[in-house]
Amino acid sequence: MIEASHLSRTYRRGDGTPVTALQDISFTIGAGEFVVIRGASGSGKSSLLNILGCLDTPTSGQYRLAGEDVSALADDARSHMRSKRIGFVFQGFNLLPRATALENVELPALYADASPDRARARQLLERVGLGARAGHFATELSGGEQQRVAIARALMNEPALLLADEPTGNLDSAAGESVMQLLTSLHEGGRTIVLVTHDEHVASFADREIVIRDGGVASDTVRQRGRPA
Amino acid sequence: MSAARVVGSAWRSLARSRLRSFLMMLGVIVGIAALTALASVGEATRQETMRQFKRMLGTFDTLTIRPGAGSTRGMPSLGSVEPSLKFEDGPAIAAGVSGVKRVALVQQAFDVDVTYRDNASVPLVLGVSPNWADVRGESVVAGAHLSEEDDRSLARVTVIGADVARDLFHGEDPLGKVIRIADVPFQVKGVMASRGAGPGGSSLDNMLVIPVTTAAKRLFNRDYLTTLVVQLDDASASDRVAGDVRALLRERHRIIPPAQDDFTVGSPRATLEQISKVGSTLSKVVTGVAVIATLIGGAVIMSLMLIGVSERRREIGVRRAVGATRGDVMRQFLVEAILISALGGAIGVLFGAGGATVGALLQKLPPAYMWSMIGGSVALSVAVGVVFGLYPAWKAANVDPIEALRS
Repeated sequence: MIEASHLSRTYRRGDGTPVTALQDISFTIGAGEFVVIRGASGSGKSSLLNILGCLDTPTSGQYRLAGEDVSALADDARSHMRSKRIGFVFQGFNLLPRATALENVELPALYADASPDRARARQLLERVGLGARAGHFATELSGGEQQRVAIARALMNEPALLLADEPTGNLDSAAGESVMQLLTSLHEGGRTIVLVTHDEHVASFADREIVIRDGGVASDTVRQRGRPA
Repeated sequence: MSAARVVGSAWRSLARSRLRSFLMMLGVIVGIAALTALASVGEATRQETMRQFKRMLGTFDTLTIRPGAGSTRGMPSLGSVEPSLKFEDGPAIAAGVSGVKRVALVQQAFDVDVTYRDNASVPLVLGVSPNWADVRGESVVAGAHLSEEDDRSLARVTVIGADVARDLFHGEDPLGKVIRIADVPFQVKGVMASRGAGPGGSSLDNMLVIPVTTAAKRLFNRDYLTTLVVQLDDASASDRVAGDVRALLRERHRIIPPAQDDFTVGSPRATLEQISKVGSTLSKVVTGVAVIATLIGGAVIMSLMLIGVSERRREIGVRRAVGATRGDVMRQFLVEAILISALGGAIGVLFGAGGATVGALLQKLPPAYMWSMIGGSVALSVAVGVVFGLYPAWKAANVDPIEALRS
């Protein structure tokens, strides 16, 4: 599903001096895996996430997603890749505030050259337990509800990969727990999930943990779910 | 993303912030309303001027020939004109110039007292040939027009205008009554249909006509005319006919170069074209001002759109993350700008047309709508949306989604 080989990412500061965010990162993630990428802030995990999510391209190295080399794709092609293959879940939910829950879920279909599928959006809302909230505006929902709408949105275009960035970071522990349970059940339904966090408890839901430190892979451990390493 | 969905999505986005959308539209509304209203009021005024001229002249397919070189302005009257235009010039033109339908003779006098019993009036008094009514398209509401027989016999008969009928007879039936024109008794033979106001708003009904022969020989004792009205077969030949008439009259009046004409050939059509040209110069100025107002409206749209883009960075980031291309984002913002501007233009046209109607009613004119201007206004507002939406849309398209999504 994901093949990252020798990924590096270098930024240039305002004064032109290069800063290395990622250096020589390689790993493979198979279909149906639930992987957590853990690291402290500044470790480079956000840079890695941007590349995995086709928002950014590596300075060097190769990234293959679902068999396709996306490391050198142009902007439009990466947009299409995001549209078809990736569902994003953000820490800040990032719902459109002036749109209803249902409209938010439908949003990815708008850019997928597919016919609008309201029935599917409704079905997804029911899947995340918010069927009754379809007509509510995003601002009328609690944080946990917003995040579940965001997950439904991420699933709209049947993506190969669900990318979650600190999905529980803005939630209280009960809401965070229910979001993690939702992700776990999606994983059990066969979804490939990559979750980025610094939180060890959240990391314990995954069955594989890649730890990033100083722009490189510090450890890559497969373990039994539910037991913190 | 299909066009219908782009428009639908832009529409929802605008509908969700109504106040801002309205403020964005305001400048365009005002500009386009002014453009439509001023142009339409100007058009109504211009049309009214045309109607007034038409009422005065009766018809545009004529040439008017007046004595003198045309250096004196204003209406000539018998006492002040050169005695150069003769009765025989009329039939000579009718016979000697091709393309002439008929020639009416007019001898005009001012300040002639007209009385009936104790009632007095000072109308315009015209001695006219019998074909004058045909040239003018004049009709009578009672009695009959002057006839060939009246002309031959130097009959003391008159056909009076509506104002004269009112002022002298106060509702009494004027037909067959005898009135005194410069103390000479004349029998009222007919009453002309009312023509209303001429250019400047003065009444065209305060006048009476008598046979031109009677006027010349029995009343004023003058053998020259104040006007020859030449009606053409075909109005488009007016330049050619005017030249022929001029040549003929120079010959008849024995004018040899370098001597100047002792008459002036005028074309009401040319006068009218001049008037409508003055009107269009004015409307160009007005149009310019309103276009500038609309452009300022466009600048308002642009600045509010730019603020909107920076406020909606996160939204742009989300849309990009779920698969929107730069082009999708650009289209969305551009369509929003065009929608705002076109909607403002449409509302402006409604207000402008309303304003034009009110303005016309206040001036007691039938309202006229300048459809070309209304179409142009709508086109202008769409163009304003495109031009002033382009930069904000480009800004929106180039928002970095990574930056925008960073929480």
